[in-house]
Amino acid sequence: MPNDKEISQLISQSLRRMLNENESAVVENHLRENDEARKFAELSTLIQTSVSGTSMAEASDREDGLSQQSKQKLRDSIRGAVQEKLSLSQAGLLGPTVLVEKSDGARTLAPQPTGDRRQLQSRFRLIRKLGQGGLGNVWLAQDEKLNRTIAIKEMNAAALAAPDSWHRFHREAEITGHLEHPNVVPLYLYGTDSNTGEPFYAMRFVGKRTLANAIEEYHDRMEAGETGAVCLHRLLSVFLDICQAVAYAHSRGVVHRDLKPDNVALDNFGQVIVIDWGLAKVLEDGELATKLTSDALLSESALLQTMQGEAIGTPLYMSPEQAAGDLDKIDYRTDVYGLGAILFSILTGKAPHENSVAGKASDLVSVLKVIAASEPPSASDYGKCVPKELEQICLKAMARKQHMRFRSAENLASALESWMAGQNGNQAAYDALRMEGRELRADMQATARDMERNIRFAAGMPPIEQLMHAETDEDKKVWRERMAIIFQGLLKATPYFRSFAYTRIIDGQFTELVRVERHSSDSSSIRVVPRSLLKNGPVGNFLQRVTQQKPDEVYTSIVTDPYAEPEDRCPTDMSLLSGVPVYDSQSEDIFGCLLIDCDINQLLRRQMDRNSTADEIVVACTKSSSVALQSKAGQIVDTKSIKLVSDTSPHFVPAIEALQSDADFIDEQNADIFGASLWFVPHECGISYLLKRK
Amino acid sequence: MAALNPDIWVDEYSDYLYRYAKSRLRDSVAAEEVVQETFLAGVRYSEQFEGRGSERGWLMGILKRKIVDQVRLRAKHREESPYEDEHDPSEQLFDANGNWKPGAVNWSAAPDQQIEMEELQLVVRDCLQTLPESQAAVFVLSVMEELDSDDVCRELEITPANMWVRMHRARAGLASCVGAKWHAGEEVSQHAK
Repeated sequence: MPNDKEISQLISQSLRRMLNENESAVVENHLRENDEARKFAELSTLIQTSVSGTSMAEASDREDGLSQQSKQKLRDSIRGAVQEKLSLSQAGLLGPTVLVEKSDGARTLAPQPTGDRRQLQSRFRLIRKLGQGGLGNVWLAQDEKLNRTIAIKEMNAAALAAPDSWHRFHREAEITGHLEHPNVVPLYLYGTDSNTGEPFYAMRFVGKRTLANAIEEYHDRMEAGETGAVCLHRLLSVFLDICQAVAYAHSRGVVHRDLKPDNVALDNFGQVIVIDWGLAKVLEDGELATKLTSDALLSESALLQTMQGEAIGTPLYMSPEQAAGDLDKIDYRTDVYGLGAILFSILTGKAPHENSVAGKASDLVSVLKVIAASEPPSASDYGKCVPKELEQICLKAMARKQHMRFRSAENLASALESWMAGQNGNQAAYDALRMEGRELRADMQATARDMERNIRFAAGMPPIEQLMHAETDEDKKVWRERMAIIFQGLLKATPYFRSFAYTRIIDGQFTELVRVERHSSDSSSIRVVPRSLLKNGPVGNFLQRVTQQKPDEVYTSIVTDPYAEPEDRCPTDMSLLSGVPVYDSQSEDIFGCLLIDCDINQLLRRQMDRNSTADEIVVACTKSSSVALQSKAGQIVDTKSIKLVSDTSPHFVPAIEALQSDADFIDEQNADIFGASLWFVPHECGISYLLKRK
Repeated sequence: MAALNPDIWVDEYSDYLYRYAKSRLRDSVAAEEVVQETFLAGVRYSEQFEGRGSERGWLMGILKRKIVDQVRLRAKHREESPYEDEHDPSEQLFDANGNWKPGAVNWSAAPDQQIEMEELQLVVRDCLQTLPESQAAVFVLSVMEELDSDDVCRELEITPANMWVRMHRARAGLASCVGAKWHAGEEVSQHAK
């Protein structure tokens, strides 16, 4: 049971709102039983009656009025305002108004009946309708006097029926007319149709193309697989122009508060024009507030209602404070949000609230509720790869709390500008990185081709055929020695060739005939392997493949041991092996093969020794993602055991995964990582170069 | 569109508008300012006057909006003072347990004559001056200007609960003040007889 004090609170409320049944019963009971409560209720009711409506103004205390001096001041200021209005009207900035001198000497302000407006109207010839908005239609028109194409905006039927819209229309023209900036549409004239008395205004014709169209085109092209760095750069430049226009408006005390890609016109010459200032807020302490003839501050709540009412198609760019109806919170930072929303749309091709609203809300009220309550979306929510810094700029501009946003449109613009400048630098660095990655791969490919050339050359030497047909041990020895000399010469010429071998293959068995190899620890020493140490055994996968080649066709692959069965994992001690089949020219049957073995690790080390622009380079086996070599800041990192890319350098994981199927990995999001892969045999062991930008 | 006659505004309406504004704003300078703003807006918007109501009614419409703006701006720019937020006049009316103190409301009967009603208005006007700004703002917008509670909350950026608390404090303060002054006045006039 509430106490007396609590019941007195209900009594207070009952004078301004309906109590519910329970509350009413409690109050009535209390009033019956309690004298003090009754007196409080009676007196409060009496006080309310005595102050409500105009009763206080009509009270008998007539002496409490304005002094004569104050009244004179009022008369003067009214006279000034009337004069100002007449001069503005004559200048064509307002609907025509005249001062009518009546016979009794009283003067009244009245709309000008007719006059030379016919002349004014006949100056413009409407060509075709360009578009329509909530308030009016825009026509393409010809200015017969100056012989130029212009746009004319007039009110539509619905707006004409609503008195509020007349006010808004005039206000829109006035605000636009006061904003003189290259990125705000220039207003030529405000006038009234002589037949209907309906207002219109003439402005520069800026074309029909909007930023919304450009964004759509850009994302269509991206989806079609085009690379869009240039197009994105162009859209971001447009965005900077929008920031400039909005910053200028802010300097004049005007908040656009309906910023969205549809309200940015792009003409054929790249001019960016911010349009539709019809819902702009003129800040009370701003410069323009004192200059506008229409009382721009008068009907804020009506404007907001309009905005919410007309937002049915487009609340998706609205700031949370607007969606929540927090009138007083609307300030410059509301436009910073709007700019962020435009940037978001450029990056993702979507409106910021498109996903958060989808499926959750059907009517406008609930849509606005969702917008007011939800955190700003990020581009990755929309599955778009966007550079991180750019995404951060966007998120900051669209922060739900106003104080978390950029403090001004200029601040937002300069954040983007410095990103773009850095981006040019980054892009150059990344281009260099890509170049380097591709050079490394090309270098390895060249080595492989070199091997293939060498082995083909060796296969064509006479000792190959002679040794094949030598019958006596003496002959065999001679030709073997000659063969060894040729092999030694080839090994000497190319430091990363590890060994040459001439192998006989018969009935699934191989027997080495000649083998020349580098010393395993002293690579400068080259030896001919004595007969007793030559290898023989069953033919493994690699030899099998080589013998399947046609004459002069070289088979190259990465393996450890040409004679062993292939391993599932990539070997630590990788060799690049090439083999060419040797046919018996007489029987035209396969006789054996020539094999050349290249120490890939040594080759890679030599590659890493070159000056690199990369911060880190990892060479990995594409199939198993085991690391063959890692180099950081130009220094090779010694890894004793087999490591996976995910262990040593997790940032390369997306790249190595992509390289399973693609030849290149391009980091479009951050321009940070590049990957290039190289296969000698499809689906077998390939190597990937992974590079990270400094 | 109908014509307006700004030449006569000062003589015809200024006192009335001023008294109305002053009763709400409780400050003659502020009242004078909003009257001036109202007249200026009246001139600027003259083409919107459609002649459906009276000129005075039209100006009153503008004035009322100006008053709401003024109250809102004042509430916004007011330095937060702990006194105002904690000052609860209803404490004088209730004991520690929240029960009415005997004789808390000094009130006997309603004034039944018109002259008394007008005197009461003067007492109320004086008592309004004593209310802290935060309570007065709610009282003016809600009771005097009869704005919906949602609108009051939005204009003053307060929650409905906060609004009802302030409203009750304003009513309690006014009831105490008006009751006391009214009876003091009665005693004086009794004494004079």
